Amino acid sequence: MPTETPAHELSLDHITVRFGGLTALDDVSLRVPAGHIVGVIGPNGAGKTTLFNVICGFVTPTSGEISLDGKPWRPRPHHLNRLGIARTLQGVGQFSGLTVLENVQVGARGHHRRGQDAGHDAGKAAGHDGGKASGQDGRETDRPAGRGWRAGRERLSQQDALATLERCGVAEYAHQHPGALPYAIRKRIELARALAARPRILMLDEPAGGLDADEIHWLAGLIREIGTTVLLVEHHMDLVMSVCDQILVLDFGKPIALGSPAEISTNDKVTEAYLGAAA
Amino acid sequence: MTDIKEKRPVTTTRPTTRKPRRHPHPIWYAVAGAVLVVALTYVLPPFRNYQLATVGAYFTVTAGLTVLTGLNGQLSLGHGALMATGAYSFALAQNKWLNMPLSIVAALITTTLAGVVIGLAAARLRGPYLAGLTLAVAVVVPSVTSTFDETLGSDMGLSIALDPPPGVLPMEQWQAWLCWGGALVTTFLLAMLVRGRFGRDLRAVRDDETAARLAGVNVARTQVLAFVVSAACAGLAGALFAFLAQSVSPGAFPLTLSLFLVMAIVIGGLGRLAGALCGALLLVLLPALAQTAGERSGSQHLEGNLALVIFGLVLVVVMLAAPGGLASIRFSTISRRKR
Repeated sequence: MPTETPAHELSLDHITVRFGGLTALDDVSLRVPAGHIVGVIGPNGAGKTTLFNVICGFVTPTSGEISLDGKPWRPRPHHLNRLGIARTLQGVGQFSGLTVLENVQVGARGHHRRGQDAGHDAGKAAGHDGGKASGQDGRETDRPAGRGWRAGRERLSQQDALATLERCGVAEYAHQHPGALPYAIRKRIELARALAARPRILMLDEPAGGLDADEIHWLAGLIREIGTTVLLVEHHMDLVMSVCDQILVLDFGKPIALGSPAEISTNDKVTEAYLGAAA
Repeated sequence: MTDIKEKRPVTTTRPTTRKPRRHPHPIWYAVAGAVLVVALTYVLPPFRNYQLATVGAYFTVTAGLTVLTGLNGQLSLGHGALMATGAYSFALAQNKWLNMPLSIVAALITTTLAGVVIGLAAARLRGPYLAGLTLAVAVVVPSVTSTFDETLGSDMGLSIALDPPPGVLPMEQWQAWLCWGGALVTTFLLAMLVRGRFGRDLRAVRDDETAARLAGVNVARTQVLAFVVSAACAGLAGALFAFLAQSVSPGAFPLTLSLFLVMAIVIGGLGRLAGALCGALLLVLLPALAQTAGERSGSQHLEGNLALVIFGLVLVVVMLAAPGGLASIRFSTISRRKR
């Protein structure tokens, strides 16, 4: 147990992003407490994906600061996996030349391996205190399990990947290539690849896009049970309202509201942004 | 958890998924190859042995190139020049110290360094720009020889002092052994390298860079590494060619060589070591075939250009009939028959 848990796992302070004359994000601040599910919503072009890109290091903010576990942090895309941050892409972004299993294995790099499956199903609170410790724990339990020889590491990553595919209900496609699979399945594979990294922060960019009601129901269940911090960009309001602890609403890059689903659904500014000003 | 398992997509039955056929460990291929080559060298006449040796040398470079282009998606039109780098380093080291292993190491070191430099630049470039950069390398390197004509001997090139083959071994047989030794060690190492995570990362970077980066792959490092590995293979191949020809000159590494190498791996089957082997075979067989055909027709003009025509035709036909290359044909027909 860390004696002093940072109040906010991830925080964004006054982030502004300008692309030439266009202000994509204007003074956005967001604090994400460990274990919370935070939704980011807004009309098209509101800057939701830009916000994700800032956190992932694809876009460097014009001004503002990001901190992780209370320390200032400059995100770099390929470091995210090691830091326990995983993100899915809006499209499906899969490796068409790799089998589904290999696709997931790319994400399962063994940085955050804790025991067998314990980490995954741990409750929210436990999952988050464990967030920091997991790096060390993981490494310790990992070694005797057979890192010494490559084959051992390979088998571990394969097991991890299969377990995650199983969890997402798509294990039967493990040896097929993703290109030929239906969209909804590919979405699940994408999710599996993110989960395979055993992230403590999971960033989902429109995970429900193109899914039917049943699929969305399944997704909602998964998000609630994941036990990690979740950042969610989504257009599907029912999903956002039902799973999120906190919602940030953006409009033309400006944060217009931040609060619980109940507060957001009664906020006038939000209704205005979505439906236009009342006559 | 019940919530999660509520809906299982599409198929309700859980089929025992067809697991991919397990391939034997690469070491067995290498051993089988070595046995086959040694056996062949005892049966074949000297000229055929020389050709066999050439196939081995080509295999060394095509294997490296197919890993770079087929698995990592970086197109290099400059591998002929990297071979030249290896060949000249080998020649200079050999003439100075007359020690084969040392000269080969020297060739490997210089091409690795060249690979790092080009690879660092290449990792920032994509598609046609990368092709342009490597093309420039292919053009520049041969002309370096005329700039430093005192050490590198300009167009005349350098002749290489070599120790005689050990014992009573005929030269051609010794050449075939060495070239195939190099080729098999290289391909074995490549096969081991691309089997596990590194190979997966290579292909992930090829397919989707953004997704690969998010999944934790260091894209730039993977690309540079792929280029360096591939350059080292080209360097070894260059040294083997210099050893085969017992001389080295810029004329042996023209721009067309680089193009032929790319063509060979495409015809053979991109990204497969078996394809690289097919390509290497074609690189030796097709010109030989063209030569005999040209001689028979009695026209000298034809003789010089027929190889190009044949190569072009083969490329077109193979791409139409089997877009996956020669190595994919055999595989698919076998699996079809099995079903």
